[in-house]
Amino acid sequence: MYCSNCGVKLADSELVCPLCQTRAYHPDLPEQTGAGLYPKNKQPKKPRRSPWPQMILTAMFLLAGLIVLLCDLQVSGRVNWSGFVLGALAIGYVVFALPVWFRRPDPVIFVPCSFAAAGLYLLYISLCTKGGWFLSFALPVTAVIGLIVTAVTVLLKYVKKGRLYIFGGALIALGAAMLLIEALIVLTFGVGHFALWSLYPMTALVLVGCLLIFLAICRPARETMERKLFI
Amino acid sequence: MAKQLRWLRLDNAAKIYPAARRREWSNLFRVSVTLTEPVDKAVLQAALDVTAKRFPSLCARLRKGLFWYYLQELPEAPGLSEEYGAPLMPMGKEEVRKSAFRVIAYDCRIAVEVFHSLTDGNGALVFLKTLTAEYLRQKYGVSIPCTHGILDCAEAPAAEELEDSFLKYAGPVPADRRERTAWHLSGTPDRQRLVCLTLDTAALLEKAHTYGVTATAFLCAALMDALQRLQKEQVSDRRRRKPLKVLIPVNLRKLFPSRTLRNFALYTTPEILPRLGDYTLDEICKLVSHHMASEITPKQMGMKIAVNVGSERALAVKLLPLFIKNAVMKAVFDTVGERKSCLTLSNLGLVVLPEEMAGFVTRMDFILGVQAAAPHNCGVISYGEKTCINIIRNIRESRLEYHFFRVLQEQGLVCEAQSD
Repeated sequence: MYCSNCGVKLADSELVCPLCQTRAYHPDLPEQTGAGLYPKNKQPKKPRRSPWPQMILTAMFLLAGLIVLLCDLQVSGRVNWSGFVLGALAIGYVVFALPVWFRRPDPVIFVPCSFAAAGLYLLYISLCTKGGWFLSFALPVTAVIGLIVTAVTVLLKYVKKGRLYIFGGALIALGAAMLLIEALIVLTFGVGHFALWSLYPMTALVLVGCLLIFLAICRPARETMERKLFI
Repeated sequence: MAKQLRWLRLDNAAKIYPAARRREWSNLFRVSVTLTEPVDKAVLQAALDVTAKRFPSLCARLRKGLFWYYLQELPEAPGLSEEYGAPLMPMGKEEVRKSAFRVIAYDCRIAVEVFHSLTDGNGALVFLKTLTAEYLRQKYGVSIPCTHGILDCAEAPAAEELEDSFLKYAGPVPADRRERTAWHLSGTPDRQRLVCLTLDTAALLEKAHTYGVTATAFLCAALMDALQRLQKEQVSDRRRRKPLKVLIPVNLRKLFPSRTLRNFALYTTPEILPRLGDYTLDEICKLVSHHMASEITPKQMGMKIAVNVGSERALAVKLLPLFIKNAVMKAVFDTVGERKSCLTLSNLGLVVLPEEMAGFVTRMDFILGVQAAAPHNCGVISYGEKTCINIIRNIRESRLEYHFFRVLQEQGLVCEAQSD
């Protein structure tokens, strides 16, 4: 039988044309019933993922935490410095070990989770040391950087093109965040005056960001860079 | 005393494949032979037991050392594998550690699926022919001579069959690695799909000769024409069209006096620049033929071998632990590896079998696995009067296959299409 749309000769097994997806049908010819090249609907069993790597990783984190806690209790009789170590271990677990439990960990979920964990850790340190700098410094800084990194992650995942624009924009935003960080340091810790040190990293970041955006816009420049930086 | 199992370093071309492997993808290909009668699995297993000992570099598993991967001969032939709804199901880490190749019997077909680190298409074809000959001897008692690429299973493997010929035939000067980036095909991700176009070999050759080129060059030109039409459909602005390149593997055994059964193939990538305007098939044929004639010479290929071998010989590279090498090679493969061509067109050529065997064989197939990032690949093989062009893809759309068929149809070639 020939395909009524594209005209290709169809093998006896074909019920649909593999080239144009038109149904193989001719009123005067019997329906195609030949055997296919491969057994239909037979798929290999997907091997089950072994849970051992994530179990071992979790056990290692728990063991480290337990040892630190016991040492602290033995030495000072209460949770003293071990709280900071346990907090750091908890962040490490959220960043490195938690994604391992998932077959396809989604960075759009795990990146903000990691920043949230870091924020909580900073809150704990601020409360323990009675620093009073969490709301006026740590929270806004963590939130701004977390927002920029999450935005880059989301854009990289869902927007297929324009990576140079994404990274360029992120670097400029990070540069602007430098000014904010310096302002918050001055306001929170009462340094007294603006030394404007943030202008140096900001200038560097904005320049590199602008260069990336320029390369994204100017095709000949981009091609020259590709040629020069070829791996 | 237990037999000391032979081990081999990976050849130069094989080194990249274990590093580039992913969970859902490994570089596999399949050669298969279809017989006149259904395959007797017990006899095939017995034939495999005999043949496996003759091919220690192919009947092997992939193991990890501290600095490099290596191949280890299998103590005994693996069992036959099952055929599934599509060819070339991914070969996981565990499977490659047990055996890096599969032999599959389904209906009248004997298929061999090989992880590319073991051998190339020609090595696998020699193995398949030898295995089929042994099967026919045991099943039907026919006497098949050890000619036409069939090896004698009673002989011990020769040292030349196991050598890494890349090291032996590297040229004195390395070639320049720089190449233009090619157009990247894309579509809706889907399961692996296969379209097999079968056409008359004599008609194909006659048509190729009217253009003054070989069958491989003609098929490559037809594929480039199809790519040109597809790009025209998807990219309307001519200035934004990217180079169209097809990677053609070159069997180096035809250029150098090597008897190796391991990887010994390099590639050439003819290209057209659609930004300059539309090309006719005649123009593409001339470009491809000229490119192949100038590139496929011992000196040019020696230069290409030299650049690959050079990076492997550097002491700093040798001393790096395997996991660092893997990370670097994977990064390089992901950044550069498949960007230099749209797809691969591998032609194993016309397979000739001894008369005593030819009567039992009705068809042969050669299927390349999909690329890691690009969705298509194409394997070609001719046997008897028929040429089978197997185009594999992992996207839903079959526009490339459609355009390819249209190019062949416009040339008066009649194709029969079959899918998986």
